Amino acid sequence: MSMTITEHWHELVTTSLLGTDRRDPPAPPDGLLADVVDDALEPTPSSRMLTSVAACVVARRAGLLPNPPAAPLTPPDADPRPIVPPAASRRWWSVVATWTVLEDEWLALVGRRGWRPPADVLVALLTRHRHDDARRARVVRLGGPVVPWLLEHQPALRAPPSRRTAGDPGAELPPLAVAPELAGLLDAGPRPVVRALLAGLRDGTFNPTHRPVLVNFVARARADTLQPLATALASAEVPDAVAGLAQSLASLAGTRAAMLQELA
Amino acid sequence: VPWSIEQVVAIAPTPARFTAADALAVPSRWVVLGADEQALWGRCRGSGREPYDTMVDHVHAAWRCSCPSRSQPCKHALALLVMWVKGQVPAAIAPTGVRTWAEGHARHDPSPAVAGGPMTDDVVDEPAQPEPPVDLDRQRDERVERLMGGLVELERWLDDRVRTGLADPALARYATWDELAARLVDARAGALANRVRRLAGVVGARPDWHEVVLAELGVLHLLARAGRRVPALPGPLADVVATSCGWQVRQADVLAGVPETDLWVVAGRSDTREDRIEVRRTWLRGANTGRWAMVLSFAAYRQSLDTSLVVGEAFSADLHRYPGSSWRALVGVRHADAEPPLPVAPPADTVVDACAAVGEALAAEPWLDRVPVTVAASPTLVDGRWVLSDATGAIALAPTAPGVATLLAASLGQPVDVTVEWTVDGAVPLTVHLADRALDIGPRADLSFVSAA
Repeated sequence: MSMTITEHWHELVTTSLLGTDRRDPPAPPDGLLADVVDDALEPTPSSRMLTSVAACVVARRAGLLPNPPAAPLTPPDADPRPIVPPAASRRWWSVVATWTVLEDEWLALVGRRGWRPPADVLVALLTRHRHDDARRARVVRLGGPVVPWLLEHQPALRAPPSRRTAGDPGAELPPLAVAPELAGLLDAGPRPVVRALLAGLRDGTFNPTHRPVLVNFVARARADTLQPLATALASAEVPDAVAGLAQSLASLAGTRAAMLQELA
Repeated sequence: VPWSIEQVVAIAPTPARFTAADALAVPSRWVVLGADEQALWGRCRGSGREPYDTMVDHVHAAWRCSCPSRSQPCKHALALLVMWVKGQVPAAIAPTGVRTWAEGHARHDPSPAVAGGPMTDDVVDEPAQPEPPVDLDRQRDERVERLMGGLVELERWLDDRVRTGLADPALARYATWDELAARLVDARAGALANRVRRLAGVVGARPDWHEVVLAELGVLHLLARAGRRVPALPGPLADVVATSCGWQVRQADVLAGVPETDLWVVAGRSDTREDRIEVRRTWLRGANTGRWAMVLSFAAYRQSLDTSLVVGEAFSADLHRYPGSSWRALVGVRHADAEPPLPVAPPADTVVDACAAVGEALAAEPWLDRVPVTVAASPTLVDGRWVLSDATGAIALAPTAPGVATLLAASLGQPVDVTVEWTVDGAVPLTVHLADRALDIGPRADLSFVSAA
């Protein structure tokens, strides 16, 4: 009985380890493969071997057949919550790439809306917060029943063994350090906020070293201040030394305004 | 800047020349750098006593350099273009010599290169002198001769490997592979050189490496044999074999071909590193013809890959395929037809039909490393390995595929439409097509290498 192509392939692999100087190439199984090898232009063992290998590779790849159907996985418990809309999902990717200070708020708002994160964001969240107990606990809660199911099938997404506790989710929106000059304006409306920030940038109260606390302020300021703030900062005439800072804060205010709108 | 880095890569005579140019594309190595609407110029400090004077006419795609290189464009001209693409060449008023040269060149060749790419690899001469007639037939014959020489050398090398066996310790030395790859680059068989370099990385890297290397040696043998018989092969097959060996086709020639107009669905994206260049493959599928096409984008270190084709979107356009009806294509004119509501997904096959489609593609071009298919199947586990399965069968996923977790989370173990790339290691999921979105889960370029990809 003639051997199969797979059996012939294994013989070719064995011969290839030794080399045709030490072992003749195996005869191919009868049929088209044998015809192709017989047509090898040079009747040397190495030429026959290479032709056999090429013909065998082509036959095996071009004759790709599926394996038998496999049993499906047991699905996770159903989760009736709607998925975060596409625009808000894309916003998460942009937030973690540019303004990570907004990520906690994104998570909190999604939770408040009763939404669940889409698959790509959920996997990225689990990967991103493997070492951050509080945020991971929030992600696990937000992800719902799919999370334990996913972790069962994808061990790489699990937290390191030392951190596999339930974790305290902590405050939904952790407090951020804000510039003392602006702390009183966190609950103020657009006009005083815009005025205070522009004045601070113009008179030198705020300079690039204050960037972190100013970013925190914009990340926690009232929602209705954001669009006016973005517009005012983007077009403000400020000293060159703080022009970049103003543009940066304008970008943050604009991003947060768009995020709040998408998650409203 | 109307040029992209892909276009600079495309005009480089060899990948090695581009790599050499990339290393020179550092403003600190240049003096008197400048650019205007027509030309770029600069003096590069090289190994010679005097810096090399380099100038490039970026409108007519012509170059001139005082270096002794016979390869055109030389690495200095390429480096100037790379810096220009990266925005590192300041705007300035052209010195008289540059202006005279550029104007003289423009008089000889008044038609600007077609938008979308540099179209010529001509050697530029002094404007005051008459241009020598370019003997295109002779140039082509020389290229063919070099390529054939490279293929003969490859065959000899393959013969040696098979005679001495894969247990030969020489295979573990990178030089064994790299020297051959370098010779293939010299022979203008860059595609074969890339295959050889890739193979060097497989040796000893996995338990079944002997099998992987042997299979690829067989494919290289097939290509070398087919490449030497190109003149005797039927037209489209000859074209495909020639380009698979590394025969370069100018973008102008591709764009001059008959366009294929369709609504092109962006079905998937996959990034891989080839030597020092990040390569992005974007898979398109014609909504009317059902034909696949692939658009390539390249980025060297700190450069950006093309992000204009977004997975899940569709656009109406003329597509120009490379010779031989291969998948590789260039996007030509885009049409302002009404775009369908997003997301758009290609039709999905059963697993058995997808395998048949892969087999058909490989029967036609057995050297293909990747074949795109869209299947409706559910991810599940068989003996610890992830597969995509439906009632007709199962196809294994590549063990290193990065998007399996997202595929799993999106499908919840239920059937879902997925675009995958078939590879010899298994299918690599690229896109999960859901009702309201397309999840782009294909392998992504390392952000520490490319910028904003």
